[in-house]
Amino acid sequence: MPAAVRTWKQVVAHVREHRAYGPGFRWLELDVPAGFAAPVAGQFVQLLLDFPSPVLLPRPMSVASVAKRGARLSVGFLYAPVGAGTRALSELAEGASLHLTGPLGRGYPLEEPGTPVLVAGGRGVAPLLMAADVLARARRRCEFVFGARTAKLLVGLDEARARLAKRGSKLHLATDDGTRGFHGNVVQVLDRLAPRLEGPLVIHACGPHGMLGAVARWAMSNGARAHLAMESVMACGTGVCRGCPLPRSTEARDRVRAEGAQAAALKGNPDWAMCCTDGPVFESRELDWDRVE
Amino acid sequence: MSQLSRARRRISPNRVNLSVRIGTLELRNPILTASGTFGYGDEYAHVVDLATIGGVVTKTVTVKPRAGNAPTRVAETPAGMLNSIGLENVGLERFRDEKLPRLRKLKATVIASVGGETPEELETLLRALGAEEGVGAFEVNFSCPNVAAGGARFWADPARLERTLAMLKQLTSKPLIAKLSPDVTDIRETARACERGGADALTAVNTFVGMAIDLDQMRSRLGKATGGLSGPAIKPLALARCWEASHAVRIPVLGSGGIASGRDALEFLAAGATAVQVGTATFVEPEASTRVLDEMREWLAANGHERVTELIGAFSAEHAQEHTPRTTS
Repeated sequence: MPAAVRTWKQVVAHVREHRAYGPGFRWLELDVPAGFAAPVAGQFVQLLLDFPSPVLLPRPMSVASVAKRGARLSVGFLYAPVGAGTRALSELAEGASLHLTGPLGRGYPLEEPGTPVLVAGGRGVAPLLMAADVLARARRRCEFVFGARTAKLLVGLDEARARLAKRGSKLHLATDDGTRGFHGNVVQVLDRLAPRLEGPLVIHACGPHGMLGAVARWAMSNGARAHLAMESVMACGTGVCRGCPLPRSTEARDRVRAEGAQAAALKGNPDWAMCCTDGPVFESRELDWDRVE
Repeated sequence: MSQLSRARRRISPNRVNLSVRIGTLELRNPILTASGTFGYGDEYAHVVDLATIGGVVTKTVTVKPRAGNAPTRVAETPAGMLNSIGLENVGLERFRDEKLPRLRKLKATVIASVGGETPEELETLLRALGAEEGVGAFEVNFSCPNVAAGGARFWADPARLERTLAMLKQLTSKPLIAKLSPDVTDIRETARACERGGADALTAVNTFVGMAIDLDQMRSRLGKATGGLSGPAIKPLALARCWEASHAVRIPVLGSGGIASGRDALEFLAAGATAVQVGTATFVEPEASTRVLDEMREWLAANGHERVTELIGAFSAEHAQEHTPRTTS
């Protein structure tokens, strides 16, 4: 694959809307100026607060919706104010400005043929809400599996449900403690669901790394493909600082080594993939799930 | 400083001559990007006009490719960031075959950063790259805090620095810039050793060794116990080291450490630096280096300076008798 053409840029965006989205979570809608490329589902941006900010570095955040408004974009985010950066973000009022760098990374290959199965764990639902929108616009049916430890961690469930219903996605809920939906985890839901679906299955997932590892292993042993959106601490978000490594699988390592041996191919590090530029979405066979933290 | 600036009247920013000289290398202005924060130059070329800044210092290249350290590699701390990247890079062969042809196409002055675990590895690098076109100078990374061998501690030995630079000097006609660690008892000693060895310039300073502990898990917030601290948190520390180093030697010093504004850059110049490097600020704002340059030019114009060189060492000129730089008392 040739080196990707870089299209990201940093712009000043403004808060259009900022509200609670289920208990403990917020929906942030930004007005983004013309010239900012439209993110695809699974891509992320870096959000940087204006001075004085309590944090130095921008915060990577997955995109949950994109709507075109003339030449401008309206970009939505679903997040939980848990750290110093997101807490400060949660205080931004409508009209406030902030800096947005992106779109960054590689998103979900939603065009891949097969039956799309979206699998969300907790607040990992954000990029999959957008994936459901994109599939609906392409008039493609999808299954939406939404799991969490307990009912109240099914982030913004009522809002998500209303939105997904409009898009025609079939919603399957699961909680580890049985407080909502199926009593069990998303992999058990996949086990029950798969025989009823037409293959091949193409899974697009986001959630805690433990869940993503389980989904990846399920896909590999059930002849499905799975695209998993990973997370990492990041500094630059653009591939420069080399700060967000994820362990490559043996198969991926051998492939990168072979590609690196061809002078024309500018491939990366055989041992570590960078979450920001090689990902954040990885096919299940790309990573060594035993070593993913 | 205020007397110096008030005495002058504002001039047009276009009239400010920003060029500076590092050995035989002329820079169009004193703003460079710091090694490890700007990739190999082309990663930011679509957002930063490389023809405007003074130069690009590339990611450190080593003889063999390095995979870098296991995660976690970065952790934010108040006004700064710790990193433990571990010199991840493509190695000499691919640097020469793949990166250099791209670097030559950039409209930038390129300073190649080289790193070695031993003097012999640096010798191999300079023998291979010393005469390559498209490289304006070499910065020798004597100060990586994140590698098991050949890092800042190994190179903190003045005699070793002097011997190594004397040997490297024979291998290239291009300027050699020695990048120093701040984590030494007296940076003047390592600075003087580099000058004696034949270095054409110094960079002061690399990151400071730092750490952060996650109390809940009682483990480092990095994959390793320590990392290198950068960002605004280190600026006053770096400025002091830069001041000390630049007054210990006659060769030019490139200031580095937490520079994020034109005024930050000018402080380093006033302390004695001939040029500066913008690093972590680029991670926050990709166009930080060009903004720093614009702010610097604007300040110089507003204060009537026709040449940026008027600022170099301006602080010390006024305070030479007041202070004797010391790192230990």
